[in-house]
Amino acid sequence: MRYIILVLLVAPIVLLAFINIVTQYKLGKISRSRFRHQMVLWLTIIIVVIGSFPIYNYSVGKPLLDSSELSLFDIAQTVAIVYLVYIINNHRRKIEQNEHTIRDLHQEISIRLSKKDGKS
Amino acid sequence: MVSQRHSVCLIIPAYNEAAVIAEVIKNLNKAFSKTKFIYEIVVIDDGSKDDTAKISKTAGAHVIQHILNVGSGGATATGLSYAKQSGYTIAATLDADGQHNVKDVIKGIELMNEGAADLLIGSRLIDSEGMSRIKVVGNRGLSMITFLTFGVKVTDSQSGLRIFSKKALENLKWKTAGYEFCSEMLWRAKQQGLAIKEYPIKAIYTEYSQSKGQNNWNAINIVRSLIQRRIVEMFE
Repeated sequence: MRYIILVLLVAPIVLLAFINIVTQYKLGKISRSRFRHQMVLWLTIIIVVIGSFPIYNYSVGKPLLDSSELSLFDIAQTVAIVYLVYIINNHRRKIEQNEHTIRDLHQEISIRLSKKDGKS
Repeated sequence: MVSQRHSVCLIIPAYNEAAVIAEVIKNLNKAFSKTKFIYEIVVIDDGSKDDTAKISKTAGAHVIQHILNVGSGGATATGLSYAKQSGYTIAATLDADGQHNVKDVIKGIELMNEGAADLLIGSRLIDSEGMSRIKVVGNRGLSMITFLTFGVKVTDSQSGLRIFSKKALENLKWKTAGYEFCSEMLWRAKQQGLAIKEYPIKAIYTEYSQSKGQNNWNAINIVRSLIQRRIVEMFE
């Protein structure tokens, strides 16, 4: 039951991330390689979360892998980490876009001013 | 717009180089006026605090002044963007401290004109005679790091003397603004499928250029930035 709660809480975040990536790609705001890498990243996250229950079942009773079952605190912590990855990922993209815009703007202003200066 | 035939843009990114910039421009003008090339010398003053811009203008260069100091990579990008916008067919970047021999610049441009490559690098390390041992080690180390992180094999990844074809001018873009752009540029060129080649040059080491050059601490900073850039881009 707890594993289902974990999947149900993480799934909307991953879905949001997928919608975000596809929208950005279709609008031409991100490159094909970034689109591919982001899809792989979020697919890996959702596969690991869905697969956590069978992985736990497999590892239980094995000397090195044996651990206690998923607690509510574990669920909250995992969801928080996935959500943080989502936020950090989005912010990093926005920061890079802004950096790029500022650099291009600075470059263009400098060139235009130099041309204006050359004419006067 | 400039004429398409043999038009060369000589780009000099400069930061606080008032002491030597006039001499560099004068030497370039003297040598290039005897060649078949239509040329323009463009100094990118990267927010200098001294009279670099004023002196460069008086010496006959076209000066683009950065409002802010963004770093060598940013200044080079501005120069190449200007060359592209102005319709030059070949562009060359060289250091403002006078360490490059004008004959080597002309040789590189002639090689480019013959279609030798899309990005031609003047390598100081094919024959490193005259360069201090510590600089040889530092530069070879950075070339090795460039190979390990980006898979681009060159002998001198940090050379400031680079010649660009029209194709390279139109396609090359990089993200870093500091000295690490030298290695990143090679990576981007590889990604774009541009042909990268090297040719041997002899650097002129004066007391001034030795004092202005990168030190090995900066090399550590470059390595850190390059590895960071490589990791970040694994998720892009």
